[in-house]
Amino acid sequence: MATTTSLKISADVEPRQAAWVRWLDLSDRSLAILLLAPAALLLALIIVYPVCRLAYTSFFSLSLTSGLPAEFAGLENYRLMIDDPVFWETTWNTVLITVITVPGALIVGLGLALMANLPFRTQWPVRLSLLIPWALPLSFAGLIFAWFFHSEYGVVNDVLNRVGLPGVIWFNSPNWAFAAICLTIIWKTSSFMALIILAGLQTIPRSLYEAADVDGAGRLRQFFEITLPLLKPSIVVALIFRTITSLQTFDIPYMMTGGGPGTSTATLAMYIHQNTVSFLDLGYGSALAVVMFALSMCVTAVYLRMIRTKE
Amino acid sequence: MNCNIRAAALACATIFSFAAPALADTELKIYISSQHQPNVWRKALDQYEAKTPGVKVTIETGGNTSEAQAQYLNTVMSAKDSSLDVLILDVIRPAQFAAAGWTSDVEGKDLSTYLPAYAEANTVGGKTVALPAFADAQFLYYRKDLLDKYGIQPPKSWDELKTAAKTITDGEKNPELQGLSFQGKAIEGAVCTFLLPYWSQGKALTNNGRLSFDHDAAVKSLALWKSFADDGVAKKNIAEVATDDTRKEFQAGNVVFAVNWSYAWAQSQGPESAVAGKVGVARLPAMTGGESATCLGGWEWGVSAFSAHQDEAKKLVAYLSSPEVSKFMAINASLLPTYADLYKDGDVTKAAPWFADALQVVETAKPRPVTPRYNEVSETIRTTVNAVLAGVSTPEEGASQIESRLKRILR
Repeated sequence: MATTTSLKISADVEPRQAAWVRWLDLSDRSLAILLLAPAALLLALIIVYPVCRLAYTSFFSLSLTSGLPAEFAGLENYRLMIDDPVFWETTWNTVLITVITVPGALIVGLGLALMANLPFRTQWPVRLSLLIPWALPLSFAGLIFAWFFHSEYGVVNDVLNRVGLPGVIWFNSPNWAFAAICLTIIWKTSSFMALIILAGLQTIPRSLYEAADVDGAGRLRQFFEITLPLLKPSIVVALIFRTITSLQTFDIPYMMTGGGPGTSTATLAMYIHQNTVSFLDLGYGSALAVVMFALSMCVTAVYLRMIRTKE
Repeated sequence: MNCNIRAAALACATIFSFAAPALADTELKIYISSQHQPNVWRKALDQYEAKTPGVKVTIETGGNTSEAQAQYLNTVMSAKDSSLDVLILDVIRPAQFAAAGWTSDVEGKDLSTYLPAYAEANTVGGKTVALPAFADAQFLYYRKDLLDKYGIQPPKSWDELKTAAKTITDGEKNPELQGLSFQGKAIEGAVCTFLLPYWSQGKALTNNGRLSFDHDAAVKSLALWKSFADDGVAKKNIAEVATDDTRKEFQAGNVVFAVNWSYAWAQSQGPESAVAGKVGVARLPAMTGGESATCLGGWEWGVSAFSAHQDEAKKLVAYLSSPEVSKFMAINASLLPTYADLYKDGDVTKAAPWFADALQVVETAKPRPVTPRYNEVSETIRTTVNAVLAGVSTPEEGASQIESRLKRILR
């Protein structure tokens, strides 16, 4: 779209078209299509085709372990899903992780961003420590925290014991295991939130605060009347990215608990992985993935609407 | 000028003299899991290279649990990747790999020389799909010194074991000392954890590929393990314990009784062990009124269907599953032989005296269900065992969960 408008503008300003365009006798519209074609083709190849193929496979009964060829099964995979308690449990866990960790990371991230935005003399140590959790691969974070929360060798229980509290066998109870995973995810993702919010903070002109000072508004009032409203666009962007990745949560619970105890901390993404990679049941795995895709699309649609009404 | 030409000629000659034999060599890549002592297999492969000119074998290692390896190989094989020629497979997997068309049949091999259980595990639909690498079964490891101190015989039943463990841990007054260590983490080993007491009650899980689930026996099995944790015989976080954790804790001297595979022997006698010379190995206990039962383990060599060197790979597999390699691995890596007569071999029993009694255990070990959908069966059982031990489900609920999910898988 951007290409067509800019071309139009240039056409208005510069009536003489390039020689090869005149030679080909292309209208602006066809030129735009021609220029967009490679990108569109690439996107079709790496995004549209796989997604369509996934939806197509989800209507087949296709399991590599059966040794049978793919067979059209209609909505059978989706029917199986409704009767599958593990599907419901993992979906519920995924939603719960999203509902807990996205606001959690937002609050922590906002705090971090405000701190990093304070007029320090040397800002690089603060900014660097903000970057490190974000730059760390997810599975490393999962492994590191699995050790932190280990019931015998972990630093968390050691600290608890030192302050006189009894240690917890974190991964032996669904609630504690869930809490440990959520804490880890918040630690890992709040720096991403903070980075986006920090960028937003720096676009707010200082003059607004100076004017507010003159008018006698207190710090808290300034935060709610100036900072927060002006940060809204950055917060929404951060929330969109965070919510979508949170619906796809895989690495951290996979490394920390493997979904245990039982299946009480398994997420939908882990269940998809298990069905496709471990069980080689590609039909059922595809159907599950279609559901996850639909879930992400719904959330994205809600957020996009939010942005549009803001504009 | 002259000098340059001579130098160039020399360079060419050098390159050719290196390149010519390299071109003739067949490079075989063999996949061995990292917990199976690839360094010892390397020595066996060196001997093969020495007597088979023109073949070079390189080892690729990966994954220290059976599930991790399966997951890796699933990815490689479903991509029809030709980089691996020979694969080591857990005894439960040849059926699955053959059904998926990932291994080539090994023709013209007489399997009757092997232990019957392995001849069976490697035959699918009358065809030989893999050859045995080594045998295995679960045993009861115990602290001979502590049992002698309290005048206790190795227990014959799980109830006796519980009493014996309590007597010893109460007497020792060492808070670090656990009575029993077994596998409660949701890993492949937990499938065997469930099956040991279940089988011991005379029940089978499947019959000719059909589910023959006995609900009461399953409840009793899960309740038995849960009671070890509740009564303080096993440690409270037993739901976190994997096979190698059991081995390490036993080796550190913190465990009286341990359920483990044969590999734990070599390391318990090694220089890093706190219990060298104090270890006894016996048959696993039985349920009161039942027979002792153990899980058949062991690993197999399969030839990748996508290998570009089928003949060479099959020859290598034939060598690796030969009596001479089986004996070499028994002596150097304490891997149980797949040939009955090697258990009586003087060199073998010198390295691991208890191997002499192990034959009978391996011969009576029971195989886990043979089905192409084994991964799903396994996942169902191990997550349920884990959930029961963590107190998420009761033994009653656990048994019902296993039953309803297995019904769907093995319908």
